[in-house]
Amino acid sequence: MTDTHVAAPAPTASAPQPEERGNTALARAALLLLRGRTLVVLVVLIIIFSSISSEYLTQSNLILMTKHVAINAILAIGVTFVILTGGIDLSVGSIAGLSSMVAGGLLFKGLNFPGGTVFFSVAVVILIGIVVGALVGAVNGLLITRFRVAPFIATLGMLYVARGAAQLHSNGGTYPDLGGTEARGNTGFGFIGVDSILGIPVAVWIMVVVAAVAIVVTTKTPFGKHIFAVGGNERAAVLSGIRVNRVKIAVYVISGACAALAGLLLTSELGAAYPDTATTYELNAIAAAVLGGTALAGGRGTIIGTVMGAFVIGFLSDGLVLVGVSTFWQSVVKGAVIIFAVITEQAQQRLQSSLTRRTA
Amino acid sequence: MKYLPSRRAFIAVGAASVLALAACGGGDDDASSSGGSSAAPAASKLIVIITPSPDNVFFKAEQDAAAAQAKSLGYETLVLSHDDDPTKQSQQFDTAISRKAAAIILDNAGADASVTAIQRAKDANIPTFLIDREINKTGVAVAQIVSNNAQGAGLGGQEFAKLMGNKGEYAELLGKPTDTNAGVRSKGYHGILDQYPDLKMVAQQSANWDQAEALQKTQTILQAHPNIKGIIAGNDTMALGAYAAVQAAKKDIIVVGFDGSPDVVSSIQKKAIKATVLQPASKIAQMAVDQADAYIKAGGKTDQPEKQSIDCVLVNADNADTVKDFAVAGS
Amino acid sequence: MAEMLEAHNISKNYGGVRALKDVTFTAYRGQVNVLVGENGAGKSTLMKILSGSEQPTSGEIRLDGEPVQLGSPRAAQERGIGIIHQELSLFPNMSIAENLFAGREMRKGSTFVDAGGQRRRAREVLKRLGQDRIDPDTLVGDLPIGQQQLVEIGRALLEDVRVLIMDEPTSALSNHEVDVLFEVMADLRQQDVTVIYISHKLDEFRRIGDWVTVFRDGSLVAHESMSKTDTGWIVRQMVGRDPDSLYVRNSSPVGDVLLDVRGLTVPGTVKVDDVSLTVSAGEVVGIYGLMGAGRTELVETLMGMRQAGAGEVSVRGKREPKGTVQARMAAGLALVPEDRQRDGLVQTMSVRENILLATLARMTRSGLLNGAAEQRTAKTKVSELAIKIPGLGALVTALSGGNQQKVVLARALLTEPVVLLLDEPTRGIDVGAKSQIAGLMAELAAQGFGVLFISSELAEVMAMADRVLVMARGRITAEFTAENVTEEALVAASASESVLEGHS
Repeated sequence: MTDTHVAAPAPTASAPQPEERGNTALARAALLLLRGRTLVVLVVLIIIFSSISSEYLTQSNLILMTKHVAINAILAIGVTFVILTGGIDLSVGSIAGLSSMVAGGLLFKGLNFPGGTVFFSVAVVILIGIVVGALVGAVNGLLITRFRVAPFIATLGMLYVARGAAQLHSNGGTYPDLGGTEARGNTGFGFIGVDSILGIPVAVWIMVVVAAVAIVVTTKTPFGKHIFAVGGNERAAVLSGIRVNRVKIAVYVISGACAALAGLLLTSELGAAYPDTATTYELNAIAAAVLGGTALAGGRGTIIGTVMGAFVIGFLSDGLVLVGVSTFWQSVVKGAVIIFAVITEQAQQRLQSSLTRRTA
Repeated sequence: MKYLPSRRAFIAVGAASVLALAACGGGDDDASSSGGSSAAPAASKLIVIITPSPDNVFFKAEQDAAAAQAKSLGYETLVLSHDDDPTKQSQQFDTAISRKAAAIILDNAGADASVTAIQRAKDANIPTFLIDREINKTGVAVAQIVSNNAQGAGLGGQEFAKLMGNKGEYAELLGKPTDTNAGVRSKGYHGILDQYPDLKMVAQQSANWDQAEALQKTQTILQAHPNIKGIIAGNDTMALGAYAAVQAAKKDIIVVGFDGSPDVVSSIQKKAIKATVLQPASKIAQMAVDQADAYIKAGGKTDQPEKQSIDCVLVNADNADTVKDFAVAGS
Repeated sequence: MAEMLEAHNISKNYGGVRALKDVTFTAYRGQVNVLVGENGAGKSTLMKILSGSEQPTSGEIRLDGEPVQLGSPRAAQERGIGIIHQELSLFPNMSIAENLFAGREMRKGSTFVDAGGQRRRAREVLKRLGQDRIDPDTLVGDLPIGQQQLVEIGRALLEDVRVLIMDEPTSALSNHEVDVLFEVMADLRQQDVTVIYISHKLDEFRRIGDWVTVFRDGSLVAHESMSKTDTGWIVRQMVGRDPDSLYVRNSSPVGDVLLDVRGLTVPGTVKVDDVSLTVSAGEVVGIYGLMGAGRTELVETLMGMRQAGAGEVSVRGKREPKGTVQARMAAGLALVPEDRQRDGLVQTMSVRENILLATLARMTRSGLLNGAAEQRTAKTKVSELAIKIPGLGALVTALSGGNQQKVVLARALLTEPVVLLLDEPTRGIDVGAKSQIAGLMAELAAQGFGVLFISSELAEVMAMADRVLVMARGRITAEFTAENVTEEALVAASASESVLEGHS
């Protein structure tokens, strides 16, 4: 019951003891540390790895690692939207693969019409790739809202369907050369995955833009608040006149579009599209979101936290490769870090609620 | 309830059929048998071809060659993919047994995990002809026709050492650690490379046969070891990923792969990747079908040894133009 | 008169806040000891200490004259102290029998659950609770809330309890179920069980209690034999002022009809059957009825949360045919739901976000939320409704029940409704907050709103409503004005199966 929330105490009886005040200050410091734990973990990682290898903390390696982070971060930002509503999207890796194949096919062999083969410019191809991702996301959303399929099941099914569709697209083959030709007017696909602006890879700029837009949408728009409300208490959201189904469909569309964008970046960097692109990437994306403090139950989390989570995973994986740790240990360490992060999340919640109680 | 159950059921069926469609994409063209009359009850004319996922062009070439050869010999075919999942492979064996296949051509999903399924087929009087990968038991399959990975890796290692001028730093990309061929190839490479004291391996990482993973790991390795002169990869998809990283870093680094896939062959023609080792996948698949045909016609006898090892061929700038579908002209 | 359970000079601090201040409390053996007080007065804290789930900062607990340490709920249980919490702690996915024995299953041998034995014992317990028609294999989630509460009580009965603490057990029960519970309590008293009973319902606990103890602001302010007290005395002790000011009667002139419902029918297990009613400007209309009479279903359908099978709803003379929440909200309806936690609040959000949730779209400047406007709007509502908060950014769960209710009300008012639908607006909140909510309702009516509220408390509905409609089995069975309503008539109509003819 609410008895623990006591009305403001009479001033005479309740001046806190100095000792208690000290404890509270300590608890506040601990809470601050826990809130920023992803950043703390990241700093610790950088300190550890740079003490092992002098190459770790060089400008070029930081840029490279950030570029590796970009793909997972973009996937994870999309997934965060879904998780904030209390859903889950397991299909993002497959959507990335599908949009990669669609874009790869358009660049490599064009689109066959009865009148002949048509090639699109790179910008149009990228747009089509993203639209494909968004459409698959919309199907996820419709399955979940109109047909009441549990998000886990709907997107698990879509994981297979989209991957199968990616394989069907080329009958299992790879589109090896996406350079395009001047004659077809479709050169320049490498821009988003290979090129740099001001010394920073375009992929990183894209991540920054996606993250910035996502931060604004989640914190500064009614739609963003509606996402949190749906995840926090769906029934209350309904009663507040929020079109819950529309919000849900929208987040799956966003997730699909982000996944497609990530797939395109990966494909551009690789210069080839193959159907297995981004297999199991959904798990890395979900891990980044959870690591960044997004609650799987919905209603709680931040985009910046997710981006930090992606940085931790990326900087950790690359660091382990850099210092030459074997694949098996890489898996073990990554898993341990994720579990540790979730444990500290629990600690944060407990500390926070006890502090709220003390100061209420 | 706002929605009728039938609508949900429709979606479920729809989704299931799409899934089914995706799963047997490879078998589509064979599904229509050449004529209803040929389905004789006793002596079946069906050859079941089971391979890993045709995502990898290597296995696709294998499938295509086996299916084409079987059809030319007058057989029906059923082409399946086990996606390296022994459980799925086992179920596909059940399918083959229940359809009373005349023979099974198999690129298996695990040296130990495949034995019982093959034994089950044998008990049902269906002979299995293994291609590409061996199993850890003899006397179960009729034939085990594999490319000589050790010999091939030796060829690759020699070419790599030659390209490197027998000295300098290099990195190795390993295949999936649980795959025997990953180990055999790495051992084959090192059998040669370790003889040169000036060739120094500075990094060794698994990229799980995957192109994107090879790209990212190579980028990181190049960060740690900027003086690397060469990268030797356990297969061609990883070589392609590694080469993409080399290109992005605007470096001139020797990359050598293994498999002889068309993408790498064309890369060699463009003077990008330097060499690969071609596994005669098409040839092996054709041999397996031929031997199966002979075995069936002889009423269950074979004059070939069970273990057959087919030598690999080195592909470099000299002979790349003659390579087509995992076969070098004249070999 | 023997002392059974005593708390001596108990204090409890949470950080710097003293929730209990040197409280000495005695529960007598074989008696019903009633605890009353507003929320936050310290009753529940004391009960948590007596049942072992919290430890006192200082003081001593004596059981049967012996000092005892109650280090955990288990330790308390082992000494025969059982507690029934206000919030249910049942497993909705399990059967009644399985719930009764959850965590202490009857065994067959050492491995298997004796399901047959459990079912047999469950049937005995249900019979003792007057629920012998219920199958012990019924899933608890399929029971109405009142019966779920009885299962919770059944759990405690299975234990060999010497002291049974009940924290507001009747808040969700219908009158009939309350009668059953009181019979059970009388029975327990016969068996020399000590009952400690926390309640807000003055009319109820006066029927059953032997002793009454009043808490206010963490202190025990009065302790008296029930027979020596009256309602007025108790309320004065609780709030420190006169009870006559508790409810404010609306006395504003009645204007145009704002809400006109005709022939509304909703199918379902709890149905709404051909309901017609009107609410006019300046009018406070009460709906009285038992749990499961279809009251909540009626207002939820009006609000568009359920689909009507038949019937028409008009607001301000205009038919509203779409029946979605958005359309009904735009037409001018707003609902404050019965279950704040389940339907009203977004627990993960702050006070400000909860207040503004329904009207965020109005707080934007070129698509982005305008923080200043948000702050201003929320602040205005907080002061208008006198919501006590630590800050607008505080989590809404940090507020007391009454203030949480006001947050939901503030959100509803921001949608600029003409008719407010309030489902049990005073449930689970303390007397002081009840009085404030009642005052707000009258004030809203005076401002020209129409107010339609649901209540299960006779005193409340009689004191606040200009007109009372009684619902039973999905139908409206009677209508009274404030002048001609009596308790007896309300109770009779709520149990009635006859339908009020010619009602409009």
